[in-house]
Amino acid sequence: MDFVRLNVTGLATYRGREGQLSFILHRLTGLGTLLFLAIHILDTSTVYFFPSLYQHAIEIYRSTPMMLGEIILVFCLIYHGVNGARIALFDLFSPGKWIIPIQRRSVVLTLAISILLWLPAAFLMGRSLLVHNFGF
Amino acid sequence: MTTQTQSLNPPPMKNTNRFEVTAWKWMRYSGLLLIPLAWGHALLQDVLVGVHRIDLDYVAFRWASTGWRVYDFALLAFAFAHGVNGLRNVLNDYVKSEVAQRRLSYILLLVWIIISLIGAFAIIGGVGSD
Repeated sequence: MDFVRLNVTGLATYRGREGQLSFILHRLTGLGTLLFLAIHILDTSTVYFFPSLYQHAIEIYRSTPMMLGEIILVFCLIYHGVNGARIALFDLFSPGKWIIPIQRRSVVLTLAISILLWLPAAFLMGRSLLVHNFGF
Repeated sequence: MTTQTQSLNPPPMKNTNRFEVTAWKWMRYSGLLLIPLAWGHALLQDVLVGVHRIDLDYVAFRWASTGWRVYDFALLAFAFAHGVNGLRNVLNDYVKSEVAQRRLSYILLLVWIIISLIGAFAIIGGVGSD
């Protein structure tokens, strides 16, 4: 657990500002999405291997905690995609722009684009949660 | 203020490992491809259709079209490989011993192959009957 402590205290003391924030968000959103993806491949595979279990898996996804998790998952997907595109495009097409002032601005822009893309999706999924689970 | 304009690029590496160079490129190319693939999938299934309208019949209806099976197969191949290699990159930041890194890589390779095969069987096999 040493590395966890190192990261938590490092977060408070390193002060890497925007770059460090995007690094941490990219890793957390990526690892979260991977965890979901592994589970999702296995539960969807039940349609072939154990079809009677699939309905049970879907019931779990329809529960309120899972639907809230789904809204978070979509943010993870959007942020990881927008930030990943930032990394890939700078790396592949203009590596010379890996300069602190440019990157500080691009990190903020990345976060803004992600939130703007996420809000309408979160609204639609939140409405679906209220309609199906709370009778609105 | 000189540090403000300092380049963030690390100096070019000597003895570059060819596998790592390929993996580095793979993360970028597959990542760009996954933006339409994964976003399209989540937009359709999570936002527009919604989990309350998904059941066995819906999966059967969707997989009746070869196009959607190919789409799901591409998603399985690219997303899970991208994710497992990403996990390998993260772990390599914390596990410093080369022996342990090698062991972890083989474990991840095995996990990746098994879960990918399970998913591939399901996409090819389609909706089964109990």
